[in-house]
Amino acid sequence: MPPKSVRHPPPTTSTALQSLWNAYNDQTSDRLKFVDAFLFFLILSGVIQFVYCILVTNFPFNAFLAGFSSTVGQFVLTASLRAQVNPENKHEFKDVSPERAFADFALGSIVLHFFVYNFLG
Amino acid sequence: MLFKSLLILAAGLSGFVNAKSSAGDSVLVVVEPSKVGDYSIFFNSLKEKGYSLTFRSPKEESPVIIKDDVPSFSHVVLLASETKNFAKDITPQSLVELLSLNSNLIVGLSTKQTTLSSLAAEFSLTLPPPGTPLISYFPERSEPPSVIPITVPATSSPILSKNLSPVWYSGIPFALGDNPLLVPILNAPSESFAAEVDGGSADSIVDAAEKGGEGLWAGSSLGVVTGFQATTGARITWVGGVEVFSDEFAKKEVSKGVKSGNAEFAQDVAAWTFQESLVLRVDKTEHHLVNATGPSEHYTTNDQIVYSAYISKFNPKTSTWEPYSGIKDMQMEFTMLDPHIRTSLLPVPGVPGKYSVTFRAPDRHGVFKFVIDYKRKGWTHLHSSTTAPVVPPRHDGYPRFLSAAWPYYTGAISTSIGFFLFSAIWLAGDIKESKKKGSKSE
Repeated sequence: MPPKSVRHPPPTTSTALQSLWNAYNDQTSDRLKFVDAFLFFLILSGVIQFVYCILVTNFPFNAFLAGFSSTVGQFVLTASLRAQVNPENKHEFKDVSPERAFADFALGSIVLHFFVYNFLG
Repeated sequence: MLFKSLLILAAGLSGFVNAKSSAGDSVLVVVEPSKVGDYSIFFNSLKEKGYSLTFRSPKEESPVIIKDDVPSFSHVVLLASETKNFAKDITPQSLVELLSLNSNLIVGLSTKQTTLSSLAAEFSLTLPPPGTPLISYFPERSEPPSVIPITVPATSSPILSKNLSPVWYSGIPFALGDNPLLVPILNAPSESFAAEVDGGSADSIVDAAEKGGEGLWAGSSLGVVTGFQATTGARITWVGGVEVFSDEFAKKEVSKGVKSGNAEFAQDVAAWTFQESLVLRVDKTEHHLVNATGPSEHYTTNDQIVYSAYISKFNPKTSTWEPYSGIKDMQMEFTMLDPHIRTSLLPVPGVPGKYSVTFRAPDRHGVFKFVIDYKRKGWTHLHSSTTAPVVPPRHDGYPRFLSAAWPYYTGAISTSIGFFLFSAIWLAGDIKESKKKGSKSE
């Protein structure tokens, strides 16, 4: 299906973001958008924990490290899954099938969560 | 034969039935034999209370006050104030040894210098120059100026009974040092001073006053009868003039129809010195956790601990130790090198003799002591020390989840839930796609 025609935008910076958002919306598949939503949720969670640590207290520091690195680690694993599964990168990951990528992602995540809960106290 | 010996035994024991002192009844009185009759009122009052008196001249060799490192008598009264040379066994060193062996002493001094005058300096009492008794020209009286009626102030020491008539006194004053173990019993009247018997010339007194320091011995800060309670608990009273115990002064009238307070004063002084009045002891102490009944082997930091002490006072009239709840200012310290907790130990209403406090063990772990250290002038010093270890909480004594860490807990849990939901939906999408592909390829 051919992509939608793009209207000519007036030359201002705020609508540069808008055109970026429109292009993103048009050009990414639903599956990738789903992964991006998960990534955004992880970023949000990480930022909230970091801000709490700075503003309120870093008292159980081990708990902060566990919670923060949980989000960061999960973000890294999900981002690598997205990179490997994206059909546009097929020529980069010739010997990695999407199923293999997901299996790596799941295994890594489980090991990450194991360590996180141990360190959380 | 058996009946006779039983009778003798009963007769001997009956002497102990009226025992008054908490520390024994045998008293040695060292006095010139010619003067024994002068103090008959005092001696009779002691005998009535139940003491057994033994009289001895100062130069006599027996009975010895200390034999084989054991005191032969519980109390010693030295009324031979003018004797310069005592027998071999009465020396300042032997008197101090008597105190360390828990015997009590009454020592009389006089204007003459004896070996005992140097001993007084060891007790922080400075004696005036020899030959200078206490003189007072007030109140106007027919007696010589060296015989002084001393009014007992209303706020005087708890040793003396209330409403004591003025006490006749003749002897030397002494300056009290700042030893905390001194217990002032009677001080000189404020208008008195120490000088030669004829009063000295007016010029010499003015010179002495202008010299200051030890120049003029005057005023009510001078002691006349002073007690001293040694750290072993033994009590010694220094009396500047032994006439205060004499019959003559006891019978003399202070003013028209008012008898002097000498007899009662002598009894009060003897009662305090011979460990009858103002004698306390700690019966037992106990400590436990707030909800427990028995003591714990060790406590944990920040525990609530209850400490109780049971204090008794000796009642001379019944010769028994009775629980006493009248101490208002007792303190208890929970100490490890320094007192971490110092709190007041208050009497428990309803339980006579029990003092109790509940407190929180400090945040430090270590071996602590419950310390009672009660020292008040005139009262027996109370010391008690109980050791108790305080350990840090066990690994499961800490709170499991910290309320400050909830954002991190929710972050980690939400990440896990997100991961599970994501992979579930991802796999569902995969199955749908493969089904679609499968149907397409067909």
